[in-house]
Amino acid sequence: MSAVSKLLPTDAARPGQHTWLHSIVRWFFIAVSLTFLAAVLLAPLATVFAMAFAKGVEAYARAFADPDTAAAIRLTLITAAVVVPVNTVFGLAASWAIAKFEFRGKSVLVTLIDLPLAISPVISGMLFVLLFGLHGWFGVWLQEHDLSIIFALPGIMLATMFVTFPYVARELIPLMQQVGNDEEEAAITLGAGGWLTFFRVTLPKVRWGLVYGMVLCNARAMGEFGAVSVVSGHIRGLTNTMPLHIEILYNEYNFVAAFAVASLLTLLAVLTLGVKTLVERTGYRGH
Amino acid sequence: MSITLDQVTKHYGGVPVVNDVSLDIGDGEFFVLLGPSGSGKSTLLRAIAGLTGVDHGRIALHGRDVTHVGARKRGVGLVFQNYALFRHMTVADNIEFALRVRHVRGKVRRQRRQELLRLVALEGMDQRLPAQLSGGQQQRVAVARALAHKPEVLLLDEPFGALDAKIREELRRTIREVQRELGITTVLVTHDQDEAFAMADRIGIMNLGRLLEVGAPHDLYSRPATRFVATFLGAANLLLARRTTDGIQVAGTTIAAGDRTPAVYEHEVVAVVRPEEVEIAPARAALASNYLAGGVVDEVVFTGALEKLRVRLDEAAQTPLLAHSGADGESVELLQVTRTQHEQRGFSVAPGQSVAVGVRRVHVLPTPLSSFTACAATPQLAQELSREPLLMELAARMKTRIGTRCEPKLGVADAEGEASADFVGTTVIASQTDCAHRAEWLLRRGARDLLVLPAGAAAPQRVLIHWMGEAARSATLAVSASVLRHVPAEAVYVGIFPGQGNGGRDAPGIRELLDARSEAQAAHGLEMRTELRFGEVAEELARRLAEAPAQMLIVGVTDLARFAERFRNLLDGGQWPVLIVHRDAP
Repeated sequence: MSAVSKLLPTDAARPGQHTWLHSIVRWFFIAVSLTFLAAVLLAPLATVFAMAFAKGVEAYARAFADPDTAAAIRLTLITAAVVVPVNTVFGLAASWAIAKFEFRGKSVLVTLIDLPLAISPVISGMLFVLLFGLHGWFGVWLQEHDLSIIFALPGIMLATMFVTFPYVARELIPLMQQVGNDEEEAAITLGAGGWLTFFRVTLPKVRWGLVYGMVLCNARAMGEFGAVSVVSGHIRGLTNTMPLHIEILYNEYNFVAAFAVASLLTLLAVLTLGVKTLVERTGYRGH
Repeated sequence: MSITLDQVTKHYGGVPVVNDVSLDIGDGEFFVLLGPSGSGKSTLLRAIAGLTGVDHGRIALHGRDVTHVGARKRGVGLVFQNYALFRHMTVADNIEFALRVRHVRGKVRRQRRQELLRLVALEGMDQRLPAQLSGGQQQRVAVARALAHKPEVLLLDEPFGALDAKIREELRRTIREVQRELGITTVLVTHDQDEAFAMADRIGIMNLGRLLEVGAPHDLYSRPATRFVATFLGAANLLLARRTTDGIQVAGTTIAAGDRTPAVYEHEVVAVVRPEEVEIAPARAALASNYLAGGVVDEVVFTGALEKLRVRLDEAAQTPLLAHSGADGESVELLQVTRTQHEQRGFSVAPGQSVAVGVRRVHVLPTPLSSFTACAATPQLAQELSREPLLMELAARMKTRIGTRCEPKLGVADAEGEASADFVGTTVIASQTDCAHRAEWLLRRGARDLLVLPAGAAAPQRVLIHWMGEAARSATLAVSASVLRHVPAEAVYVGIFPGQGNGGRDAPGIRELLDARSEAQAAHGLEMRTELRFGEVAEELARRLAEAPAQMLIVGVTDLARFAERFRNLLDGGQWPVLIVHRDAP
């Protein structure tokens, strides 16, 4: 080892030269990082699937047959199906406004967009309880009109929306600023109107950034735990999303079911990652 | 007229980037807007295209007022510096974009596309993406795209900026050919004078948001009216000379003036000598042209076809040369000379060699402001005054010099006695308590243009103009025009009439204002606003100056009776620069 420590600095000073020491050092570092990756990432991932299939495929399938589980999956998908488009529209509008126009309060808007990333998700959930809960600002009014937001679907959607809204905007703002305004101005001088310019020029220009932002937004929307946990009320079969349902199953020592649902969520995550990689490969090559 | 601009003004954050520009561009004309970066030329082009709104003024295309018409409906073709092609569309889709927007049938679109691609020599490139083309090819596509909807006006914003020299030349030719073939009115914005010379029917030169001069390339080069144009368009030596009844007196020699108007009085002028109009010879006798002075060659640079020299004129000749900025921004007092191969063979020189310098042709600028002379009672005060920031900035912008002069009698109240010498150029005095008396003293002894400068005065954002007595009108306008070419400020003519006024319906007053405006525009190229006030002149002017900071006053006077008394409020300890233009009534 002393020979290595003596030679290491001289070897490091000559990058690109292949010596026996060089390859040892290289393999050493690769091994360390792979081991770390395996221990921290792959092992838990493998555990999820191992536990899910611990009592066979049949038990795995049975876990999904449970109506509560099916309801949780449905709720998660519905939430994502609403939240992602809404946040996409918002993100597009906000990034368009920020990148293309100068207006008073622009920096405030930029800061506000980042707010959900800075606030702990649990606090985000609490905000909605404080607003719409029974003792919240609008609580009495809501009750009088027989509307329920907290412990119901609207609350879950609002909380998820709040937590995930920076993703699309954050992705698009720098992109829109970078590509500039010239193409839009060209389109306008050629006679195109606002909508046409937007759909034919702006949107195609940022489409890969948009897809990327939507993918991230979707991943977070499906996996959100903290904020949703506060507003959902954990009513089985009604207001439990997948992450919440997993926790309940786990606390009931129903490990197979818990990990089965978890494996589904994991699969969704892997799928998201796959799409993201694909987008990065195809989309950003052009830039 | 294809394009008519009338007093177009655009401010950004209070600063005028386009300042009262009026211009007519004819049908089928190739017009080049030339100016350094930040001169407002691109903003003006964008205003014509409708991408930038204007704060004031009118824009008309083919007689149709489009000031408030959006870019979409103006029907102009615009080409950007960085092409701005739709990068996700093929060349074909790019070119057909304007036609698709107008719902033109597919067959017609294809036909038009083929036609345009042939025009810009890009046949067969239809299905390429912009990223697969070179810069020059992309710009050709951009030109074709801008022409697709048959616009009446083609606007080009530094179209060659991002291309290398060879391609640039080629594309220049293509664009000129396309323009001739279609006969389309074209405006090109550039900072490159070669490009302007090569392409333009007429050139308009902009600086500090103002359109300084408009003319054919050759006229502008050989007979510029302003220092800026003289030095921006090609290299120029600026010399202080005297206009006498015999001609132009530079250093010790008098050169016959090649212009029509004989000098009414002897005065200092600024003369332009192009480097190629300078002759050098071993001795005075060997010169074929007018002898200017002796000098020593300081530097010789070979540039291929031409040789560039810098010659230091002999101190003894009382060098009339105005400093020009060298490449490093430092001011140098060297005469620039360029010589052809032919001239080099006749007489080859090396640095350090003594030569005789002659000039073949001198052009006198019509500007009334030549140089500044800081004048005070002691040499030390004059020195201090000559270092006032605003004065130094003005002199630097006007590429002229600041001299000093001591008048011991100046500070003495009611002093009699004569001035120590003739007054030359603009005399500058400091603004202080008995300033009005000093001003009168100087004016009575022959100072014609007198600047009263408060210590630490700010650069003016508005210049107020007024004259008392018709004899001073033309001179005041000329001086104002000259000042405003070098200062980014708006010009306001303040008409003042005695009495209370009758709500602005005073017919003779209004007529006078309009006359003043049209004379300023026609004779001096100066665009100004007008204001009408009622009351005593000096009082009203003082009141108007106090209304806003960063103002300057240019006032013409003929009659010096009770001058100090009348102008005490305005001049004594005033916080604003006042330029007094004194001309005797005939």
